[in-house]
This record gives sequence, C-alpha cells and structure tokens, in this order.
Amino acid sequence: MRARRSPGPWFAAPVALFMLACFAAPIFIVTWFSLMPARSFDLTTAFTAENYVTAFTEGYARPLMWSLIGAAITTTVCAVLAWPSAVILHRHAGNWATVVAALIALPIFISESVRLFGMSVFMMPRGGILAGTLNALFGLQIGSILNTWSAALVGMIYVHLPFMLFPLLLGVSLIPADRIEAARDLGANRWQVFREVELPLAAPGLTIGALLTFVLCIGANAEAAILGGRAVTVITTAIEQRFSFAQDWPMGAALTVLVIAITAAIVLPVLARLDLNRLTRR
Amino acid sequence: MNQERLLRSMAARNPLRTPMQHSASRRKFMAGIAAGIAAAGLPRSAAAQSRPLSLLTWDAYADPNLLDLWRSTTGVDVRYEIHISDPTSVNRLRAGETDVWDFINVNNPWARNVMYPANLIRPLPRERFDPLYAQMKEKFHLPYKWALSEDGEDLLGIVQRYETFDFVVNPNVISPQLAKDEGWDLFNNPDFAGRYGILAYEDWNVMDICMGAGIHPYKEKTEADFAAFEETANRWIQNAAFITTDFVQLNLGILNGEIDLYFTGGTYTTAAARLEGVTELYAITPNSGPADGKGGINWIEMNSAVNNPDFLDATYDWLEFITTPDAAEMVARGNGNLQPVSQMAQPELMSRFTSEELQAIQWDEFDERIANAVEFDIVPDYDRLYDIYTAAMRARG
Repeated sequence: MRARRSPGPWFAAPVALFMLACFAAPIFIVTWFSLMPARSFDLTTAFTAENYVTAFTEGYARPLMWSLIGAAITTTVCAVLAWPSAVILHRHAGNWATVVAALIALPIFISESVRLFGMSVFMMPRGGILAGTLNALFGLQIGSILNTWSAALVGMIYVHLPFMLFPLLLGVSLIPADRIEAARDLGANRWQVFREVELPLAAPGLTIGALLTFVLCIGANAEAAILGGRAVTVITTAIEQRFSFAQDWPMGAALTVLVIAITAAIVLPVLARLDLNRLTRR
Repeated sequence: MNQERLLRSMAARNPLRTPMQHSASRRKFMAGIAAGIAAAGLPRSAAAQSRPLSLLTWDAYADPNLLDLWRSTTGVDVRYEIHISDPTSVNRLRAGETDVWDFINVNNPWARNVMYPANLIRPLPRERFDPLYAQMKEKFHLPYKWALSEDGEDLLGIVQRYETFDFVVNPNVISPQLAKDEGWDLFNNPDFAGRYGILAYEDWNVMDICMGAGIHPYKEKTEADFAAFEETANRWIQNAAFITTDFVQLNLGILNGEIDLYFTGGTYTTAAARLEGVTELYAITPNSGPADGKGGINWIEMNSAVNNPDFLDATYDWLEFITTPDAAEMVARGNGNLQPVSQMAQPELMSRFTSEELQAIQWDEFDERIANAVEFDIVPDYDRLYDIYTAAMRARG
C-alpha cells in the first residue's frame, strides 16, 4: 500500500514562496550590496570587505551601542510597567478590562510621529503644555528633558509599552489561579510565588513581549530624532545617512547586515527556548 | 468604462493619506481586482492612457487647489508622493522607479549632475519650453547653466521656486543687520554655544559648515581645508542645543526662548509663521563670506520629466501648466507656505501677492539676498566632508 503523502508542504508553499520573495531575497540583495565597493551602485563589481572594515573603524560602534542600550532599557522598563498592569487587567479589572485594554491599544492606531510630536509639545520648556500649565496655575518654573537622550527613552517606552503589555497579558492568563493558591497554602511568600510560580508560567508571554519590544527598539529612530534632538545618533539614523545623503548604498547595506546579525544573535537563542505549543494548545 | 473609472480611482489613491478599508468595502475592492485583471488583457497603449500622471514632488506641487485646477483644465488624473529628501527620491529612481513616476522636482545640481547623466530624466523639447524661460526673472534667461546639460544642448527642466537658504535668527535677540554683517561667525561665537539649533538637511549643513570654516563650499579642498572643516563640524554639532529634521520644532524653540538662531533656514522655514504674525523669526543671508566673497546659498528647484519608459505626454503639459500665472500663484502659496517663484517677474503674477505676504517672505530684500548668495552647486570632495560631518554627529552623544 502506498503511503499517503503529507499535504503539509503544499499548504506551506504559498507562505514559503512569500517569505522567499519578500524576506530572503531582500536580505540576499542587501548582503550582496554590502560586499560591493563603497559608493557604487551596481552588483557586478568584485567583492570587497572594505565596508565591514569601515564599520568597525569609523565610530559606528557608538550608534550601535546607543540602539542596543536603548532597546535593553526600554524592554526592561516596559516589562516592569506592564507586569502589574497585566495582573490587574487579568485578575481585578473585571468588565473594565476590555475598556482599559482598548484605551491602551488606541494610540497604536495613531501615527507614531504624530504621537511623538504631541509629546514634544507637552515636554517643551517655558511655553510647553506641562511647563506652561504649571507656570500659569502654580507659578512653578520647571526645566525640560526635551532634546536629551532621556526624552528619547521616555518616547520609546511610551510607544512600545503596548507591544509588551498584550503578550504579557496572554502570559499572565496562562497562570492557573489554583497554582498560586497551592503555593500560598504551602507557605510561599509573595516574592516566592512570583519567582517560583507566576514568572515561569507567564514566561512565554513575557518572552514574546520582550522580543517584540527589543527588536522594534533596535530599529527605532523617530524618538531620538523628534524627542532626543539627536543628542545621540542611533544606528538606524547612521544607516539612513549612508543610503540617502551619502549615496553610499554598500556601506548602508554593510551596517544593515551587521545590525541584522547582531539582532539575530541576541534574539534567536531566546526564540529557541520559547515553547509556542504551550501558548497555542492550552 | 466603469471598470476604467474604478481602476483610475484606485490608482490615484495615495495609500498614505487615505488607506483603503478592504473590510468596509469588500465588494468595491473585489470589483477593482476584477477590473485590473480585465485591464491586463488590454493593449499596452490603452492601459497606459488610464494611468494618472505621477508626481514625486515637494509639497507645494501637491497642493489640492493646484491639482484640482490641473484636473479641471486637462481632465488628466494626477497622483503624488512627497519627497523625504532630494537624495532619497533620486535613490528611488535609481532603484527602478522611473517606470512609476512622470515628474520629479529636486534642487538644481541633482538634475544636471546626477539624474541626467544617469538617464533618470529626459530632455524637454526646446521649441516648446525655451520660450518659458524668457518669462522668468532675468537671471534664469537661457542659456541658464542649471537648466541645461553639461554640453549646453539639452533642456533638463523648468525652473520655478528659488530662494536663499542660510540661517534664521530671533530679531529681538540678534539684530538682523548685525546677523547679516557677522554672517556665519555667529555660530563660531562661544556666546551662542548651546543657543542654536540645526535643521538636519544634511547636504546643506555640510555647505554651511564650509562657510563657517572659511572655505568655499564649491571649490576643491586642501588638507588644511579639511582640517578646518572637521574642527568646525565637531564644534558646531557639539554646541548645538538640538538637531532635528523638522523646522517647526526649531521655530518653536526660538519662540520658547530655547534657542536664538538656527541653521539651515530661510524664508522656506519662516514665511508661513511670519504670515501668521510671528515676529521672532527672521531669515538671514550673510552680507559676505568665503564663497567668492559671498556667504549665502541660493537654491533653485528644477522641475523635470522622469525618463519613464511608458512616457505620458501629459508630463510636458504639466510642466507648462505650472508656469501659468494661476498655477504659479498656487505653487508660490503651496500648502500654506509662501515661496518666491521665477514667474514673479511677470507683473500679472506679482500683483496677486498682498503686502503682508511679501513682508512674510522678506521680499524687500529678496534681490539683495540673491545677490549675496552663490548658487547651490555640487560640493567637490562632498563624500569626504559628509563622512566628517556624520562622524561628528556620531561623536555628539
């Protein structure tokens, strides 16, 4: 009897073709470009590694460091802020949970630049909304963090919080209430319940939220541009400069490849530990 | 016919401005797909007729009044996308979008030195377009360098908007006369460290830093010039209160007292606010500088026909249309801004501007500003200078 062939590959084919054309092919072209001589526009010249040498010798480590540090800080702060919010929404908000979740999600539907410009007007010194209002109502005169790296971080946390909160909400919902009760009955204190029961059970949601936030933050540059006053240059700005005003596609491509490689080196090991089946089969 | 109209309306839709709600209008979407499939079977020429004129443009040419006037005059549909920057749009043409766009307008050197040699724009028929230059300000009368190819044979586009673009001060803090006399040295003055902003139009910043370093931006540089440029770039970028690509933020910075001046800027960045009655913004072109004695830079926008393999004759009609008094007036007032246009040499057009509008663009000193400026050009050794500039940016934080 002939074994029946699995239909799996046929079902996967459209997605596989899509990924090949829209994901693998662009990365292949960008990688190829990164091996072309600086400031050239064709793909037929002899390969060279000069762009990668330049990337390590011409101060690009600094923008990369700002992007990585910004992403790490934002991910951590978002996780710290999102955990109690997720717990409250899941366990205590009752019928209000949907409304509150919708209110948190609402800003996502507004252009990020518009939101950041709104924050910029809010943070402005003297006549800004916060400083001006405090001065008008209470005679208080305050400074401003606008146009500093701190302002850019505040913007990144504000923009990316929903990307942490909603996966974490899913993670928190994976914690059965009876396990917490059992742990308490067995004498676990609040910290032990959090560390030994809640955190491991919510880990898939936390991991997805952290990955989403981290990866999005590595590619973020609007916050540093609009709120940060370019107090620092992030790596995506450095890449954009190479592609646009420098007209140096190969160098921009080399930096892009490096960022992809570094992001993959950080993200893939974490992703490998993620048990998606636990999320989908429960 | 319905299919054609539907296709046209879908093609003209700018996805950034009015995203299509598939779920809200599934039937219409499916009808569009069906019409597309039907159109794919049409002869190529017939399908091409239904394509709207496509503009890759600065926002003045995307003004709804201008586009409505064009549609009602010609019956030809038009769509547009607004530039992010000159080089980004040139990149898009280079990357194969010549078959997407019909019209592009970028600053003068990009047309003559980059796009035309790379075959990205096509020459205009001279018998039709040469006479339009006779109706412009005298400085543009042919043979005008930037309108022509290197060999002087081909006409590369139509000149329209132009201005000087240098820096902006708060006249309540720095008198305009002092600013004009001091010129770029204002940014070298330690008293203004932390009191100025930078509009990150980066190719302009490179030219401005040249001026501040006492170097002619458009002449070959010596090693001493590079050293001076590097020192000035590091100092100016380090001492900037903030750097942004949004000139409204810089204007607000001046209004809030956060900064007293910024570069790069001019009436392009100040006219709309001045027209609203803001008196704290004043565009300055230095009286003198290192560029053959001049300190200002004069940009000239070149409106060109993209070398689209599926060329629309309507592209030429559009290029002629924008020079008509009604259209030129709308371009000058495009999207709420105010910008001088070359056709203001015509009394009929000039008479349409109110004294408040002319005051907003500081028209009384316009000729003086142009006289004190060199024309925007390709910067020799730009690559090396730009690399120094971006290194200074990276070192800022």
